[in-house]
Amino acid sequence: MTSDSSSASLSSDDEEESAGQKPNVDVHTNSIDTSLDAIENQLSSIALNTSIDERSVSPTGYHEPVSEIENGSLRESVRERRRNSIGESSSSIGLGLSRNHLEVEVEVEREADGQLASPSSSGYAGERGSSSSPTSASGTDVIRELRDNGSSIGDDGVVSVDPSQTQWIRGKRHADEDDGSISWRKRKKHFFILSHSGKPIYSRYGDEHKLAGFSATLQAIISFVENGGDRVKLVRAGKHQVVFLVKGPIYLVCISCTEEPYESLRGQLELLYGQMVLILTRSVDKCFEKNPKFDMTPLLGGTDAVFSSLIHSFSWNPATFLHAYTCLPLAYTTRQTAGAILQDVADTGVLFSILMCKNKVVSLVGLQKTSLHPDDMLLLANFVMSSESFRQVFYLYMTSESFSPICLPRYNPMAFLYAYVHYLDVSFYNFFIKKIVIQIEAVLAKSNILNEVQRSLSEGGMRIEDLPVDPSSPNNSGSLFHLNHRKPATNGTVTGVGGPAGLWHFVYRSIYLDQYVSSEFASPISHPHQQKRLYRAYERLYASMHDKGVGPHKTQFRRDENYVLLCWVTQDFELYAAFDPLADKGVAIRICNRVCQWVKDVENEIFLLGATPFSW
Amino acid sequence: MASRRRMLLKVIILGDSGVGKTSLMNQYVNRKFSNQYKATIGADFLTKEIQFEDRLFTLQIWDTAGQERFQSLGVAFYRGADCCVLVHDVNVKKSFDSLNNWREEFLIQASPSDPENFPFVVLGNKIDVDGGNSRVVSEKKAKAWCASKGNIPYFETSAKEGFNVEAAFECIAKNALKNEPEEEMYIPDTIDVARARQQKSSGCEC
Repeated sequence: MTSDSSSASLSSDDEEESAGQKPNVDVHTNSIDTSLDAIENQLSSIALNTSIDERSVSPTGYHEPVSEIENGSLRESVRERRRNSIGESSSSIGLGLSRNHLEVEVEVEREADGQLASPSSSGYAGERGSSSSPTSASGTDVIRELRDNGSSIGDDGVVSVDPSQTQWIRGKRHADEDDGSISWRKRKKHFFILSHSGKPIYSRYGDEHKLAGFSATLQAIISFVENGGDRVKLVRAGKHQVVFLVKGPIYLVCISCTEEPYESLRGQLELLYGQMVLILTRSVDKCFEKNPKFDMTPLLGGTDAVFSSLIHSFSWNPATFLHAYTCLPLAYTTRQTAGAILQDVADTGVLFSILMCKNKVVSLVGLQKTSLHPDDMLLLANFVMSSESFRQVFYLYMTSESFSPICLPRYNPMAFLYAYVHYLDVSFYNFFIKKIVIQIEAVLAKSNILNEVQRSLSEGGMRIEDLPVDPSSPNNSGSLFHLNHRKPATNGTVTGVGGPAGLWHFVYRSIYLDQYVSSEFASPISHPHQQKRLYRAYERLYASMHDKGVGPHKTQFRRDENYVLLCWVTQDFELYAAFDPLADKGVAIRICNRVCQWVKDVENEIFLLGATPFSW
Repeated sequence: MASRRRMLLKVIILGDSGVGKTSLMNQYVNRKFSNQYKATIGADFLTKEIQFEDRLFTLQIWDTAGQERFQSLGVAFYRGADCCVLVHDVNVKKSFDSLNNWREEFLIQASPSDPENFPFVVLGNKIDVDGGNSRVVSEKKAKAWCASKGNIPYFETSAKEGFNVEAAFECIAKNALKNEPEEEMYIPDTIDVARARQQKSSGCEC
């Protein structure tokens, strides 16, 4: 059945009508036109906000168990920017890494004898926080330098140049703070993990031990409500939301004044828990059963960077709320070749193998009926990209392979698998090639995939400027890679004002494929800060469209001082688009129509087709 | 090495209302004392870092309210405690008599794995009051009770004068070090992919 549906979306490339056969899954130009036209007519009558107030949109469903905390500290104003406190950072920055185009290949293999002594497994015995270097003047200098280069300080205090480049500050920041520090109290978004006895396990900011008292307070609040046979989900205190998630003996708490919906923050806590499970499995529950005093911080030693990187991705990676993965745009044949190579690897008895470029999938091959859940993929990629040990192996030993026990929460949360991770550096792969058991590099080199990957990286993906306005025009080649006039994507050049009819950006999520594609950022939203704000707007849109209380929505059109946002949800896909705030509604809808058609036209270059959908 | 890591100890302070639990904490953590009585509502939480025998400890101190109406926190409150401090006022007989109840209540609620050897510490507070003339619980009597409950360490303290407070809390760290559980290997199961393959492929191939 599942393969039927994917072939159905493929077949919609044909000009011939096949809607009679598969009426539910087929998306045809005509049907898009007609349905959108119908929607356009409906829009005026649907009681959705077409005007400005963003907050009135949050459905009343969020407000369930609201209580007020009469605690002055939580009500403190958080407006003030923390420029001065940035310099306090005690962590180093992985500058070199994002310059090189690193590829990550992750294979999960079955256990072999003696693999426990892998370099990466030593992380578990390591001293907590040992990965971050002590405060130094040079660390501050690097940050200043970054800022001078046109970078920005996001509202989380994150220094970033390009949010997709994972150029966040590695490891724990502001470790010297505690709940008594004014700077700590002013942070916009806190994340805590603690045990059911109130012992701190992880805090995004500040030293866990110094926050022992705060952590005890959180446990007391959760336990007090639990004692009454109830469960605390959310506390609103002025501008702050305190969101709780109880996972057996593990308590997770987010305190945020970012105005994100409750559902989004809760989803982020779920991912944070998933990341913990990926590192340790849920077998930790047994440790707490045996011994409620159990202190699990030593088990998580050295993983600060993994958690902080995940939390950072909540503000730049739409996969965190779309629960879908994204592919590196590649010519269809290139991706097929990569898939064939991975298939050879998979045939040697691994559960699956993936070739990734940063957070984007090049190809993925798994056992029949076994595929990765997009959330597992996100957590795995984050673990690999942010773990110190994988990088150290790469830089210190000039080899690029390591083994690590990992757990895939959606596959089996109770047990470990073994991941074989192989870094390939596109720019320097000739120098780093070593004769290895699986000679994947040699095969990849022969097949020209690495060049194609690099080309894709430099040329970018779907750019809204390239959106074919006239579908019948001869320029519409149906490919992203055969357009002669394509120029390499350049950063920072201000040209034009986005795409046709004021289109600024879009995200298209294919429901059957568990994949999404987002356009490159156009100049009106070239700044990381603007991009983060747009993602937050999408996030709110997603939450309101999927709110079970208010019922499923099909479309939403809203205009505020920043954008016109248009969301369209069907059985097959979800489209989120942002326009110039002055964009005309009718035109915007027609453009969305074009976007869907465009996605359809190039779908075999932007999506991994034929991969089995989520199956566990 | 792993054994050198910082230890976090959850310490629960119990005792009748007005025996000076909060004052002891305040003296210990902040080196301050106030004559004014302010009843604790629910619980207070304080953090104190100490060094003992080259090891760093963080004491997470749960200062509870002595009044009965606040005892509803129960299990959740006492869960995973590393040490329990029982406080009485040497000038109030009833507060000493209550120690037995506090101890038993704690053992029921916290249900530690080895209740006989759970680390308690008993503090006889307010020895400064009236130059010791209003004292009704003698040191001998208190020590006898402590001995009968498995040799609980006993300290005579004065939160007001800061007498013996440090020593009492140092004893808590010493206790914890003595009872430190052996590091167990953390080895979760591993999935045998080969077998998983067989199972998968034996299923229906639709």
